[in-house]
Amino acid sequence: MLGDIITPDLFASALRMATPLALAAIGGTICERSGVVNIALEGIMLTGAFAGAAVTLATGNPWVGVLAAILAGVAIAAIHAFASINLRADQVVSGTGLNILALGLTGFLMERLYGHPGTTDPVTMIRPLFSFPKPLAGFGGEVLRWIEGVFLSHTPIVYAAVIIAIVAQWALYKTRWGLRLRALGEHPKAADTVGISVYRGRWVAVLMSGALAGLAGANLVIEQVGSFTENMTNGRGFIALAANIFGRWTPVGSYLASLLFGFADALQIKLQMFRGQIDIPPQFFLMLPYVLTVIVLAGVIGRAVGPAAVGQPYEKG
Amino acid sequence: MSETHEALPEQKPWMTFVQKAGAPVVSVIIAIGIGSIIMWISGYDAGAAFAALFKGALGSPKAVGDTLLRATPLMFTGLAVAYGFRAGLFNIGAEGQLFIGGLAAAYLGVRLGGMSPVIALPVVLLAAMAAGAAWAFVPAVLKARIGAHEVITTMMFTYIGKYIVSWLVVGPLKAPGQIPQTEMIGTSAQLPRIQSLFSDATLTAMPLLKLGRAHMGIFVAVFFAVIVWLILKYTTLGYENRAVGYNPWASENAGISVPATIVKSLCISGALAGLAGAVEVMGVHHRIFDQFSSGFGFTGIAVALVAKNHPLGVIPAALLFGAMSAGSGTMQLEADVPQKIVLIIQALVIFLIASESVVQWFIQKRQKEALARAR
Repeated sequence: MLGDIITPDLFASALRMATPLALAAIGGTICERSGVVNIALEGIMLTGAFAGAAVTLATGNPWVGVLAAILAGVAIAAIHAFASINLRADQVVSGTGLNILALGLTGFLMERLYGHPGTTDPVTMIRPLFSFPKPLAGFGGEVLRWIEGVFLSHTPIVYAAVIIAIVAQWALYKTRWGLRLRALGEHPKAADTVGISVYRGRWVAVLMSGALAGLAGANLVIEQVGSFTENMTNGRGFIALAANIFGRWTPVGSYLASLLFGFADALQIKLQMFRGQIDIPPQFFLMLPYVLTVIVLAGVIGRAVGPAAVGQPYEKG
Repeated sequence: MSETHEALPEQKPWMTFVQKAGAPVVSVIIAIGIGSIIMWISGYDAGAAFAALFKGALGSPKAVGDTLLRATPLMFTGLAVAYGFRAGLFNIGAEGQLFIGGLAAAYLGVRLGGMSPVIALPVVLLAAMAAGAAWAFVPAVLKARIGAHEVITTMMFTYIGKYIVSWLVVGPLKAPGQIPQTEMIGTSAQLPRIQSLFSDATLTAMPLLKLGRAHMGIFVAVFFAVIVWLILKYTTLGYENRAVGYNPWASENAGISVPATIVKSLCISGALAGLAGAVEVMGVHHRIFDQFSSGFGFTGIAVALVAKNHPLGVIPAALLFGAMSAGSGTMQLEADVPQKIVLIIQALVIFLIASESVVQWFIQKRQKEALARAR
């Protein structure tokens, strides 16, 4: 049975499941590095997912849907930026407000546009990038089957997430922009003194996190599920925040941590297929990613230290 | 959430009250305004919507009863979130503690159902408190020991708790029959309806007492609001809670154990949220099933914020959100506006109170204008 569980498909599924988490987690990393906590990732992802579905349904073109998801994410993030940067709001509370807003707004618009709550019609999905002829026989064929299955069977945003992680890592640690951004999260006063605009830098970071979480929503709807369901993000935004912490506030770390959570999710789905053979209620599998998140936060990280000024509003002095 | 205000000349007591209550009230008004604009843009008749909302919330004794019914769990979750906030902790997972509290009440309610209510009622309520506290305990310890953010951990525990309930109601605790739910709790563990306390003759003479489904839980909730207020104001426990919320470093220096206070605070918060689940089971559904809470834990956040984390303020705040929740059904039915507009208004309230400076600015501008006019 183990052979039935551990298949190329399991790892491919882990990569897929990790993608929305990773995109949101990298967004969270950039945002927190600039000194702003973004609890609203969950709601931004949900809004992105809805915008992606609605626009894809309206235009029939999933790529326009992806664009809409990103823009919707940026729009919600802009509200968070305005509140937490300009109005110096309590960032966690403002983010919670936005999460509930996203839940209400997507549900409201869903009933307005489609006349019913629940799930939308299926949307045109984005297909995997590569397609392959029938696999060869023998050992070589088996190896090829694994490589194709695990690495080459994916849709574009799955690959984009890997590239984004690497580029973001480079940008944060090897460019002047990244150095300045990190300064905002560690010591905004010092950054301000040497002429870096705290407000502008934080605004850019928050908007970027919105774009990434919106893209995560697009991936969920247009590449994975194929339709929008109310509250379909199901805590992924919060798991992404945990992945960001587990990844020690670095983009590549966030990606790798998301892979772990993605694997838990993939395993959970796979194990449910063996419901008849394993005498464990499905709810226990469904719990797995959430339990793992708590365990990871509890033990593995020890005392992870985030950016020093994260969560503190900055007042121009 | 700073509470500093520009001192105005001649502070009268009622003025400080207006200043304190002003921001939440203005936030609610602005949120309803934005909600109306959203309805208007979406092509709905906002006037008809609010008329229907009002009718469903206060239009008849039964409607008032519905408002009280919805306000009851919200008082508990509002108190739960407020108590945590006062220690600087954000218990976003009240919903999960509510589920586990409700589960404990449903489980014990069946088993103690035959005993005298004098035993059954307090025991079931206490068990729900213990269960809610237990569900907050792990996040509390993780926060106190390693600083794991309670927003993430209590949220994760909410999902875990809901899956546990959903497993138990289809599995080990399932009542015979098709529907996934537990057995009905015994009558002595049920909170009676308010109108059941009066004779038919009294009800005919005073139809205002026909409060429909509203039950005695509302009195339990008000009682607990007063208790929490007394704890915060007059006990060492409450003082430490507030001190840690105000300034953890100073509290540590003053000899208060910050980790211990964090654990106590989140567990008390969880116990209060557990009671929310208990009153829903004991007063409304008399059993537990998968979707027995319509997000009372999350609405509790809005309740606490509107109350400015004051336990007595939670009472009117919960009534307000209870009214909105009770009226939203009528609104959907009669004005055809999706109920979710209420969720949007609630979110806007949270958001506006978080960004209090806008509201504060708005109020101060008004006051300055008024002062200018007075001169």
